[in-house]
Amino acid sequence: MGQAISGGLTQNDVDEVVGACKGAFSQEEVESLYRRFRSLDRGLKGYIGSEELLAIPELSINPLAQRVLRLFESVNFLEFVKLLAPFTARVSREDKLQFLFTVFDVDGDGLVSPDDMHVMLRQLAGSTLTDDDIGALIARGLDGAGSPRGLTLQGFKAALAGRDLGAMEVVVPSDLS
Amino acid sequence: MSVTEAAPNGVARTTSAQFHSFLPGLTMPAGHAAAAADDLAELTDREVEQAYVAAEEERLLGHSHSLLTDMLSIEGVLADAAAAVVDDSFNKCFTSTPSDPWNWNLYLFPMWLLGVVFRYVILFPLRLFGLIACFAAFFLMFFPVKALWPPGRTKLAVEQRLIRFMCGGFVLSWTGVIRFHGPRPIRGAGRVWVANHTSMIDYIILSSYSAFAVIMQLHSGWVGFLQTQCLDSLGCLWFNRTEVKDRHLVAQRMRQHVHADATPLLIFPEGTCVNNEYCVMFKRGAFEMDAVVHPIAIKYNKIFVDAFWNSRRQSFTQHLLKLMTSWAVVADVYFLEPQRRREGEGTDGFASRVQEMIARKANLRVVPWDGYLKYYNLGEKHPGLIEKRRRVYADVLRKYLRPSEAGGGAGAGGARPGSGGGGRAAGVGRVEEGEEEGEQQQQQQQRPNGAASPETKKVN
Repeated sequence: MGQAISGGLTQNDVDEVVGACKGAFSQEEVESLYRRFRSLDRGLKGYIGSEELLAIPELSINPLAQRVLRLFESVNFLEFVKLLAPFTARVSREDKLQFLFTVFDVDGDGLVSPDDMHVMLRQLAGSTLTDDDIGALIARGLDGAGSPRGLTLQGFKAALAGRDLGAMEVVVPSDLS
Repeated sequence: MSVTEAAPNGVARTTSAQFHSFLPGLTMPAGHAAAAADDLAELTDREVEQAYVAAEEERLLGHSHSLLTDMLSIEGVLADAAAAVVDDSFNKCFTSTPSDPWNWNLYLFPMWLLGVVFRYVILFPLRLFGLIACFAAFFLMFFPVKALWPPGRTKLAVEQRLIRFMCGGFVLSWTGVIRFHGPRPIRGAGRVWVANHTSMIDYIILSSYSAFAVIMQLHSGWVGFLQTQCLDSLGCLWFNRTEVKDRHLVAQRMRQHVHADATPLLIFPEGTCVNNEYCVMFKRGAFEMDAVVHPIAIKYNKIFVDAFWNSRRQSFTQHLLKLMTSWAVVADVYFLEPQRRREGEGTDGFASRVQEMIARKANLRVVPWDGYLKYYNLGEKHPGLIEKRRRVYADVLRKYLRPSEAGGGAGAGGARPGSGGGGRAAGVGRVEEGEEEGEQQQQQQQRPNGAASPETKKVN
């Protein structure tokens, strides 16, 4: 007849999640994320629907909302935590770059092709740039990197070599009650 | 790192008159309140803009990246999205507190079970019977008075007394333990009472103590019957939130009511029910009438039941049933010191100050959101907000496209994009401006349904 305030996570579950995200989150943070996951998942289906994500005002005005939605919708809690892991200081730069690559690799074929970039730039820049402008920018950018057919993970990492990724950090509230 | 949370409340309140802003949301039909959203739009607009322009300027000054690096640099935008997924201040305002389980061992469980049986099998029927008897007595007295008594002061006083009796019956039906602090409200011209809003029972509780006229959404069913047949006599104002004409009519009548010597007028400036832990943006209608504002802070004790009415999840009848099957509703009501607008203080500052007072007394956390966001998706309603953030990114790239335009874009956040590629976006911007202007004009002159509504539809 015990009441689990954490909503039913066992130590095994927590260990599994902490292991899967390579220790990016502490046990307390995992519990907090679990409560958040359950509150977003209104029908307690085990995943979060796109409607439920878009009901977050801050997210619905994000330029990349559609891309983020594709990544986050219909994932289970483990996947949910893995997707958020790159946004902590405890994750290596390599992993952060790997995640950014995944975001850019829209069709998931391991290559950020001009088409992938077009989709992303359209979302990022909105209607202020024409299709031709975007095409020209992508062509010039990829030519500059010497890989006109698209960026591999290595090329992607090289392009962001000098970039400070310190902004990629999110604070998990320790008290979500 | 959430942009909107970072900005202090009140910073972005705008100066345009907002006649719709008095609307209290006893309940609201989903998906409406279109026009009511523009102060939010401007609020979030400006905050987003400031934060983004600052961040981008810093970035541009600090480094000189290659085109490819700039194109691939999305970590800031992504971190924003992730922060919103992890935590947002908006949804927290509308989550009910789960009841604290205490049947956690073998000794307490029978006691708890006994309590459940007692509450549902004995207490609830008694309360229901009491409530029905109270209603019967009320109707038997009220309708003859309403129909036969000659109009005048005495009639109003009798009607007020009867409605207080009926509300008292409600409070009794949940064994309300309400402590009232501060002086009892009086009748008088030029006064208006504003309170934080948790449930429709706010009004019932306050009315059981002292008669109030309230502004509310017109409901259907038995609530609607009470509204139109009984509360009507006190000068309560209602409207259909979806009707622009209704809103203007109510705005006018509200002014008349406040400046006449009538039943005290009560307004819930949050415009929607909040869970009594947070306090969402105060709409300004109540604060721009040159009336003395009497703040009322209502704090519910959640020891037996959470009084928050989650109107999207349950009907008011269900909400009442929840209250009637609990042990008691415990609340403190504070009538705070009346406030006047200070010399040189804007409506926004005044509203914020009163909100601050109420929030401090009721121990609520102030958040800058417009409560109407509950009913629509911000991004869909205001594509301009996304466009603005996109423009910053686009401007960084545009300087590679046409070097002559360098520096023109990213620095000036509000600047419309220049020639060439900016065609469609400028179009969106223009419609947006048209919408804002249309709204302001409409509000300032109280013109009935003008050009604004079609414009709004076009944008969305």
